[in-house]
Amino acid sequence: MNKWLINPFIYIAGAKALLWGWAAMLVTAIIGMMSYTHFDGVIDVHTAGKAFSLGYHLLEQLVDWSCATLLFWGAGVLVSKSSIRLIDVAGTMAFARIPMIFAAIVGYGIKIPGQLKTVDEITRAITPMVVVCSLVSLVFLIWMITWMYNAFKVSCNIKGGKATVVFIIGLLFSEIISHILLYFISNR
Amino acid sequence: MQKNLPHICPSCSTPLSVKCLVCEKCQTEVSGIFHLPMLASLSNQEQNFIVEFVKCSGSLKVMAQKLELSYPTVRNLLDDLIEKIETAQKSIRQ
Repeated sequence: MNKWLINPFIYIAGAKALLWGWAAMLVTAIIGMMSYTHFDGVIDVHTAGKAFSLGYHLLEQLVDWSCATLLFWGAGVLVSKSSIRLIDVAGTMAFARIPMIFAAIVGYGIKIPGQLKTVDEITRAITPMVVVCSLVSLVFLIWMITWMYNAFKVSCNIKGGKATVVFIIGLLFSEIISHILLYFISNR
Repeated sequence: MQKNLPHICPSCSTPLSVKCLVCEKCQTEVSGIFHLPMLASLSNQEQNFIVEFVKCSGSLKVMAQKLELSYPTVRNLLDDLIEKIETAQKSIRQ
């Protein structure tokens, strides 16, 4: 049970993981739409002041997942001694996004209506509930990053310090690229 | 109790050789210097992996289903084993 919580990719990868991951991304998008929770970056969780369409929430999930998949697959091809499959990287990265379902649910507790413009409005909006929900969201974010790290290690067969360094670099780049892409898409 | 075959000298860490083989049925002893096969230097788990791999006709997909592990996990085990065998072969040649 502990192994499933920390590294499920010992047991699941490829197309099976991809289908589960896509289903989770769909559920996350639906809940996110209702709780005003946005995932505007690979490792970003934010609350928005207004609702967006389901299509936009799905697009966020797709962009986040595909940025991570392509960057980590590229890193794996360059760094790994093994012959890696794109389907394994894609599947494990999709599956790794499952904890975001819970972050989207927690978003109900942080639902802040409208745009906050003054310091006074912001101060009033940060209630104990908002603080608690933010910390709980952080736990799920850390869980997702842990799964992404293990997904990268298993699907690309990279171990030790090399895996850690390459993962951090890949995560940073995928976060930046996903942010830029979503910024341009939302401002079109 | 299953015993592990020692293959490295505990004193100077060089590969061990077999000096004497015994027939359990008639007590015949055969003495000489016999070099252990390279596969004997692998752990029981690794040897079992190789046996299962051959029984699965070399299919990683079938292995993964049989061992209830993911495909990349089985592939990684195989790649690690290949690296270990290549290292063992290099040290034998030296």
